Amino acid sequence: MNDFLRQFLIESRELVIEATEGLLLLEKSPRDPERLDTVFRAFHTLKGGAGIVEFPVMEQALHSVESLLTEARAGKRTLNPALVGDCLTSLDQVSQWLDILEQTGELPLSLNGPANAGSVSPDVAATSHESAAPAAHAAQDWAAQLLGRYPGATGEVTTAFRFTPDHDCFYQGEDPIAWTTSLPQLLALEIRPERPWPAADKFNPYVCNIILTGLAGISAGEVSAHLRSLTGECEVRAVGTAEAPAAISMPEIVRKVLQEQLRVLQVKEAPGAAARIASAGRTAANAMRFCGMDAHAESLERAVQQSSARLQEAIAQLLGMPSVALARSPSPAGPARDAASLPGDSAATPRKETSVRTLRINTEQIDALVRLTGELTIAKNAVGHTAKLAQAKSDSTAGLLKDQHSVLNRLVAQLQNTVIGMRVLPLRSVFQRFPRVLREMSASLGKPIELKVEGEDTEADKTIVEMLFEPLLHIVRNAIDHGVEDADQRRARGKPAVASILLRATRDGDQVLIEVTDDGAGIDVERVRQVALDRGMASAEDLEAMADSDVIDLVFAPGFSTAAHVTEISGRGVGLDAVRAAVERVGGHVSIASRSGAGTTVSFSLPFSVMMTQVMTVEAGGQVFGIPLDAVVETVSVTKEAFSGVGEARVIVHRNRTIPIVELEGMLNASAEKSRPAEIDATVILASIAGELVGLQVDHPGERMEIILKPLDGLLSGTPGIAGTTVLGDGRVLLVLDIIGMLQ
Amino acid sequence: MTVLSAVNGVIVLEGACPSEDAEILLQHLTSTPSARVDISICESAHTAVIQVLLAFKPRLIGTPPGNSLWRWVHPAVQASGSI
Repeated sequence: MNDFLRQFLIESRELVIEATEGLLLLEKSPRDPERLDTVFRAFHTLKGGAGIVEFPVMEQALHSVESLLTEARAGKRTLNPALVGDCLTSLDQVSQWLDILEQTGELPLSLNGPANAGSVSPDVAATSHESAAPAAHAAQDWAAQLLGRYPGATGEVTTAFRFTPDHDCFYQGEDPIAWTTSLPQLLALEIRPERPWPAADKFNPYVCNIILTGLAGISAGEVSAHLRSLTGECEVRAVGTAEAPAAISMPEIVRKVLQEQLRVLQVKEAPGAAARIASAGRTAANAMRFCGMDAHAESLERAVQQSSARLQEAIAQLLGMPSVALARSPSPAGPARDAASLPGDSAATPRKETSVRTLRINTEQIDALVRLTGELTIAKNAVGHTAKLAQAKSDSTAGLLKDQHSVLNRLVAQLQNTVIGMRVLPLRSVFQRFPRVLREMSASLGKPIELKVEGEDTEADKTIVEMLFEPLLHIVRNAIDHGVEDADQRRARGKPAVASILLRATRDGDQVLIEVTDDGAGIDVERVRQVALDRGMASAEDLEAMADSDVIDLVFAPGFSTAAHVTEISGRGVGLDAVRAAVERVGGHVSIASRSGAGTTVSFSLPFSVMMTQVMTVEAGGQVFGIPLDAVVETVSVTKEAFSGVGEARVIVHRNRTIPIVELEGMLNASAEKSRPAEIDATVILASIAGELVGLQVDHPGERMEIILKPLDGLLSGTPGIAGTTVLGDGRVLLVLDIIGMLQ
Repeated sequence: MTVLSAVNGVIVLEGACPSEDAEILLQHLTSTPSARVDISICESAHTAVIQVLLAFKPRLIGTPPGNSLWRWVHPAVQASGSI
């Protein structure tokens, strides 16, 4: 896939999400013009992108939707659920095309266009094309964005300014905020950090790190004159007057192509300059020709013949950029006082070449970094081991080695934190898929449902976020299908007719907690008991003796389903046990709480990162094994008298509970040489397996460590009972046991 | 001294806070991250001081003086992201 297509793919995905979200909100408030504009713009930009990459089928499909939205914008058509449905269907189609593009690297050009709703003549959409582009441009522009946030000030505003004080301006005795707030007729002022605030321990209050943007009712010249006494980069723009050149409307991607050419032209290095100018001119002209603006294309080609400066000016005009700023842009940025010396009201000094703050990085590269960090951790542990050896031999370099090891330790810990940070994603990417799902389920089951989402900014490791959708969907489907009552039943029970489903995420230390709460009928405990009995999952006596919460937990047992009838929504033969299995695979837990008549809450407790695993080492049969700490409840020292036999099995009584004991050595067949008598003093690791305590007898407990677990691969992959391996400081391989898998 | 730390976890900014106060405020906020900052009697504050507020985003209490500085700074501190 070439870069152009890759960019198209990334942007289109974002636009599909934006349009979907907008449409779902529009369905609730169809008369929200701003929202409608957003949706329209997203469709329009999508269409423009399809045009640029020469994907006529998609362009055509989106064109008809765009026409429908144009009518809606003009008030000729109401956005009813059917129309929203049509728009969503077209987005589904686009997503499918994008999937094909992602998988094959090529556009699915052989496909036929979809039979899409839309009977509007193309020329209606053509007018909309013109009207949408300036709005899209506005979103790109800081001044326009600022104006947009202060609609009340629009009538009085004549100047927008953006001022970035020098980092050391405090040492010049300057006070940028106070001075800026003293600006006459200041109508709006926003104060933001220029770069993200550093960590608390690195924070230096005397390094100025702010950007001031504002609107004023005085002329650009007056604003410049006022800000002249401060050092920093200043951009002042006249707004609300005819001075700003009007931008030519064009699709967003074309705009980006032009901006890129402008950037290329502003590079000062001489070698290859002529070729660069010609190439930039040709690209810009082609882009204009693509959106049918032949006249502009020709004027660009003429400009190429003249000079680089002329071409830059021509492109800038098309983009609606002030030419004053452009003429000065190749020169280094100067302080504000230079800006004011420019003639006219529109004075501007350019910003320094802004550094790119976000990079899109292939996840494979991030994963490689994770792997390398793991290797580095192992190497670091080896250095620690060497230091210990040196100390034991009273080597003179031992102290030095120990010091270096602690430095290395600190650096590796920082590296690990940074790498973990790179792999986190907000849960929004999962949660945002639910409004759509709920809408469809609500319609198909005829149950009105409202979705509430909380904490969508909570972050978790990419692996966790990506695996979450399926289990969550399963829970949500169950909640709607089996939990939520019909509107009539709800009314009869004195509940609001519209049911509510709450998706909530919170961070709790190393864990991310996700809850799905419905206000439905709750789980009928007696029915669960009955079904469990019918399925032979437990005896009647056991079921009677079980606490209600334990009975409810049975819904996660394999082969359990209480739905009176199988429906399309949730009765697909996959039980909730699949949800529990999926969550436990990534080291999480699922729990459920329900109150009859009031609703059910299913909680997922997931690790924040799957990269680091806390293990404790144990010795059994002369070998060292690792046990993941999250499975360990406690470690107890047991005297030989405490063991007692129940039939074949051995048990201990601990805190008034009888706990079966499994000998790790025997289980792993770890020692072939000696047959150790069972009745000696021993250490028992208590682990919780599906709510039951089981004891694992080992020879000695070892140390606790944080490792990067490597799953087994090749022939050994899938070996039961082994979670993975890591290398110890002395070079030995540590097998990390999957004790839950072993003991189940 | 225009930055006062009261016993109940409230930091009071008083009068006109010069740039030197940024360091003192920073120390208070680092040692007591949950501290609230009373700005009701703070007529003005240097950008360096405001920067500390923007970065640490403590809960501001008290009605800000009705001058042009706090008119713009107060919403910015409340909306900014914290460390």
